[in-house]
Amino acid sequence: MSKEVFNQISPSEFFYRNRDLAGFSNPTRSLYTAVREFVENGLDACDQQGILPDIHLRIEAMDPEKPDPKPYILTVKDNGPGMDSKQIPLAFGTVLYGSKFGLKQARGMFGLGATMAILYGQITTNKPVTVSSSVDGKTMHEYTMMLDIQKNKPVIMKHKPTDTAKKGLNVSITLDGDYSKAGSKIRDYVYQTSLITPYATITFDDPKGEKFQYKRIVDTMPPAPTIIRPHPHGVDVETIRRMIADTHYQVPVLDNAMIEKVKKELGLSKKNLNFEGIMARAEKKWSSLSRPVRVIVAVMSFLNMDFDKIMKIRLEDIDLIHKRLSYYDFGDAKLVTLEMPKSNPYYKQLANTVQGDSLITFLTKRFQRIGQATAIKFSEFANLKAEKRIGSFTNEELVQLSDSLQKYEDFLTPDPSCLAPLGEEPLRKGMLQFFKPDFLEVYQRSASAYSGFPFVIEMGIAYGGNIPPGKMTVYRFANRIPLLYDEGSDVVLKVVNETDWNRYKVKNESPVVIVSHICSTRIPYKTVGKENVADREEIEKELRLALQYLSRKLATYMSKRGLAEIEKKRANLYLKYLPLIAQFSTELAGKNKEPDYKKVIKDLNNVQVEEQ
Amino acid sequence: MSKSKSSKAEKVATAKRDSLLGLLKSQGAQIYNDLDKGKFPQFSVPSRSVSNIVYDKKLRQYVLGNTASLRSSRNMSQLRSFTQLMWLAFFANRLVHEKKSSTLRDVYYSSQAFEVEFEDQPESDNIIVDLEAVLARPREDFHIFPEERSSVFGDLTIEYTVPGYEGKRTNLSDHPDGYLIGPSLSSAELVDTSAELVIAIEKGGLFTRFIEEKVDKKFKAIIVDTAGQAPRATRYLLKRLHEQMKLPVVILTDGDVYGEHIAMVIKSGSANAAHLRELTVPDAKWVGVWASDIEKYKLPTIPMTESDIKRIYDLQKDPRYQEGIWKTELEIFLKIKRKAELEAFSKYGLTNITDIYLPQKLELAKSL
Ligand SMILES: Nc1ncnc2c1ncn2[C@@H]1O[C@H](COP(=O)(O)OP(=O)(O)OP(=O)(O)O)[C@@H](O)[C@H]1O
Ligand SMILES: [Mg+2]
Repeated sequence: MSKEVFNQISPSEFFYRNRDLAGFSNPTRSLYTAVREFVENGLDACDQQGILPDIHLRIEAMDPEKPDPKPYILTVKDNGPGMDSKQIPLAFGTVLYGSKFGLKQARGMFGLGATMAILYGQITTNKPVTVSSSVDGKTMHEYTMMLDIQKNKPVIMKHKPTDTAKKGLNVSITLDGDYSKAGSKIRDYVYQTSLITPYATITFDDPKGEKFQYKRIVDTMPPAPTIIRPHPHGVDVETIRRMIADTHYQVPVLDNAMIEKVKKELGLSKKNLNFEGIMARAEKKWSSLSRPVRVIVAVMSFLNMDFDKIMKIRLEDIDLIHKRLSYYDFGDAKLVTLEMPKSNPYYKQLANTVQGDSLITFLTKRFQRIGQATAIKFSEFANLKAEKRIGSFTNEELVQLSDSLQKYEDFLTPDPSCLAPLGEEPLRKGMLQFFKPDFLEVYQRSASAYSGFPFVIEMGIAYGGNIPPGKMTVYRFANRIPLLYDEGSDVVLKVVNETDWNRYKVKNESPVVIVSHICSTRIPYKTVGKENVADREEIEKELRLALQYLSRKLATYMSKRGLAEIEKKRANLYLKYLPLIAQFSTELAGKNKEPDYKKVIKDLNNVQVEEQ
Repeated sequence: MSKSKSSKAEKVATAKRDSLLGLLKSQGAQIYNDLDKGKFPQFSVPSRSVSNIVYDKKLRQYVLGNTASLRSSRNMSQLRSFTQLMWLAFFANRLVHEKKSSTLRDVYYSSQAFEVEFEDQPESDNIIVDLEAVLARPREDFHIFPEERSSVFGDLTIEYTVPGYEGKRTNLSDHPDGYLIGPSLSSAELVDTSAELVIAIEKGGLFTRFIEEKVDKKFKAIIVDTAGQAPRATRYLLKRLHEQMKLPVVILTDGDVYGEHIAMVIKSGSANAAHLRELTVPDAKWVGVWASDIEKYKLPTIPMTESDIKRIYDLQKDPRYQEGIWKTELEIFLKIKRKAELEAFSKYGLTNITDIYLPQKLELAKSL
C-alpha cells in the first residue's frame, strides 16, 4: 500500500495552478489581462484619493523582429497617491493582499490582480518586476523583485530611493504576449475605458510605435463611495456565522501574552497584587477594560485565582446553559468543573461577553437599514427572542435567522452610498466627445438591489453624427470596467436584442450607440473572467426600464427628425421649382415681369405635408 | 390653283395656330396670376387611367370620361411633374411661335437646358400626353413629332405653311420614293387630287412595290405606308384625306391579329389616344389580309406564337370586336392558329398581290 502524501500549497501556488481563472490562459489573453489589471489599479488609486487620473500605458517588444508570441515590456504609470515603501513588496509580491475588500464599489476586488500579472510575467520570461512609487512627490522608492511562489513572499533584488518631482506609481513587467492578436482588444479596452472615465487622460504607446491618447473631457470626478455595512438581504448563514465569530468571544486562551495584556490594562505590569487587590482594581477600571480582559477578570473571580494561579490552568469550557465552568489544571493534571453562581456580580458580565450582543444589538450594529424598531419587528417575524444573546444561538436558530433575513420584506433597499456611478453629466459629455452624435440622451436610474447588493444602472443612447451606420453598437461597462469578451450571453445584450426597435423608429442599419454601465458592490458576473453579467431579474428589469426611457426619447427625436427632413426636402423642392414655374408662366402669359412668387415660398411653413 | 384657295389654306392653319396659342396663353396667365396672388397654382388634367377610358359608340372611338385629377404645385409629390408640364407648355409655345418642330427625343433633351429634368424619355413622353390631354390637342399641333415616319405617294397637291415654304406647292407623285409624312406635310393644306381612293398599307416593302406597279394610276389611289402601327401624323393625314378630299380609305395589313388591330386603330383610335379626337377614320375599311383569305388564297403560313393567341383573347374583350368581320376574323385566327404576311402572295409571283388579290379585295370593299 502506498502512502499518500499531502502537501500544503501556498496561495501563490494555488493561483499559479489556477491562472486560467484569473484570465492568464494564453499569451493573447494574458497581455490583455495584464494591461487591464495595472490600468485599473492606477484608476482605482486615483479615484480613491480624488485625483484626476493621468494614466500612461506602454507596450514594447523586447525584440521587435521576433514573431508573436514573444516577450513584451508592459509599463503602466499613474499620477495617483502611490504606495508606502514598506507595503510595495507585500502588495505586489503576495496574493490576496489588497486594500479594497470593504463593501464599496471599486474596479479591483480580490487583491490578486497585480500579483497574478507579475507572476505570469515571471513564469514566462523569468524577469523581475519593477515598481517605483512616490507618496510625497519628493522621494521615489524603486523595487526590483521576484516572487517566491511556494512561500507567497517577494524576493527583493534591489531597492533604492531616488529624488522625484511627482507622486504616483509606476509598474513594469516583462511577459510573453501576442500583440498581433491582442492588439485590437487592447485598443478597444483603452478606448472604452476612456469613454467611461471621461475625467481621465489615458495614453497608450503601442509596440508598433502608434500613440493613442484620450484626453480628459470633464474636470470633475464622481464622488468617492463610502464603505458600508452589509444589507440583511445580502448575507447568508456562513456570513452571519463569521460576523458572530468576531462579535462574541471564544473562550480566551490563557497564554503569557494574554496575561500580560490583562496586567497592562489593569495597570499591574510592574506590580503584583493578591486576588482581592486585583478584583478591586478591576472594579475601578472596569469601563476601560477590553472585552477579553473582562472575560479573564470574570473567570478569575469565579475561580478565586490570582495571576500566579491562573497561569497554571487552561480554560476548557464556559457553559452558560448549565452555569458551569471547566478548566484543566496543569499542576494537578486534572479537569476541574465548578458551578457559576448566578449571584456572583461577574456572572452577567461573563454571560454577556461570552454570548455576545443581544439579537437586537447585533442587528442594529452590524447591518445597514436596521434600526431599533425594525429589529424588534423582525425578531417577531423571525420568531426569535429579541434579547437573546447571539452567541447562544443554536445551529437551527442561526439558519432560522439567516432565512428570515432573506424573507423579511420590510427592510429598506440597500444604501447606495457605497456606489460610484459616473453620473449623467460626465456620461453625456463623454459620449458627446466620442461620437459627436446628432442625438444624445443619458439616464441614471435610482438605486435598486438584488439579493441585498445595491446597484445602479446608467445608460446613454446616441444617434447619427460620427457614428457609422451598420450594426447597433453596445458598449457594456461594470464598475467602470469595459466588458469586451463573451458578449453573447450578457444580460445587457439580451435586453437590447429583445427590444422591438421598429417601435422606436430605429432601422436595422441605424447609426446607434448604446452605453450601459452597471455599478454594484457585487456585479453578478457569469464567469470568473469578469466579462459578462448574469441575468438577475432585478438587474434585467432596471436595464429594461432605462433602455425604454431612452428609446422613447430617441423615437421622439426620430419622428421629429423625419419631419424635419421632409420639411427640408420640401423647402428645397419649392425653392428649386417655383422660380421655374414663375419663369415659364411669365413667358406663356406674355408678361414682362415675373410674378411675385416669394409670397408663396414664405407661406411654405403653413403648408401641411401632402404625400400620396 | 387659285389664289383664294391658297389664302384659305393659310387662314385655316393660322386660325388653328392662334387658337392653340390663345389656349397656352390663358393657361399661362392663370398660373401667373395665382403665383402673383401668393397662391399655389394648379390645373386639372383629365385622368387617363383605365377606369376613365370609355368607348363612345357614337364617335366610334375611345374617349376619356369625366374624371380629372388636380395637379397642384402645393403638393410636394406633384411639384416636379407640375413644373415639367409647365415647361412643356412653355416649350410648345415657343415651338408654335417660332414655327419650329421637334421630336419626342428632342423634347427629352431640350428639357435639360432649363434645369427641368426628365428621368428618361418615357417620362417626358408621358408629360407630352398630359399636355395633349389638358389642351385636348394632339402633340403634332404643338409641333412635336415622333421619330417614326411613314410615307405617302400619289396624285395629291399640297401647299406648305411651314416657314420658308409658305405658299409653295408640291405634288406627292413627284418623287418615286414617296414623301415622308412629317411636320411640314401635316401642317400643309391639301389642295387638290385626282385620286378616288386611299390605300393604307402596313409595310414599306409593299408600298414600294405598289408604286412600281403603278397602283396609284391603275386604281386611282393615294398610297400610304403606315410603317406598322400608323403614327398619329399618318392617321391625321388619312383623316384629312377622307374628310377634306372625300376619299374612301382601305387598309391592307399582314394576315395576323396585329394587322387586324392596325386597321382598327386607324378606324377608331387607340386607348392610348383616348384623349384626342381628330385621329380616327371611322369609315375606313380593312380589306385584308383576313384570316379567311389564308385558306382562300392558299397562302403560306407561320404558326402563331403564345403572345399572338393571348392578343386575340385580349381583343375579344374590346367592344369594337363584337361584330362583323372584326369578330369573325378573330375567331378564325383563333381556330387556325396560323398567320400569313403580305409578302406571302409572292409565292404566286411578285405581282400576284397587285394583279389579283388587290382588285378582288377592292371590289369586295364596296360591299363592306
Ligand atoms: N497604482 C497603484 N497605486 C496605489 N496603490 C496600488 C496601485 N496598484 C495596486 N495598489 C494597491 O495594491 C493592492 C493590490 O492590488 P491588486 O491589483 O493585487 O488587488 P486589487 O486591485 O485590490 O484587487 P483585484 O485582484 O481585483 O485587482 C491594491 O488593493 C492597492 O491597495
Ligand atoms: Mg487590481
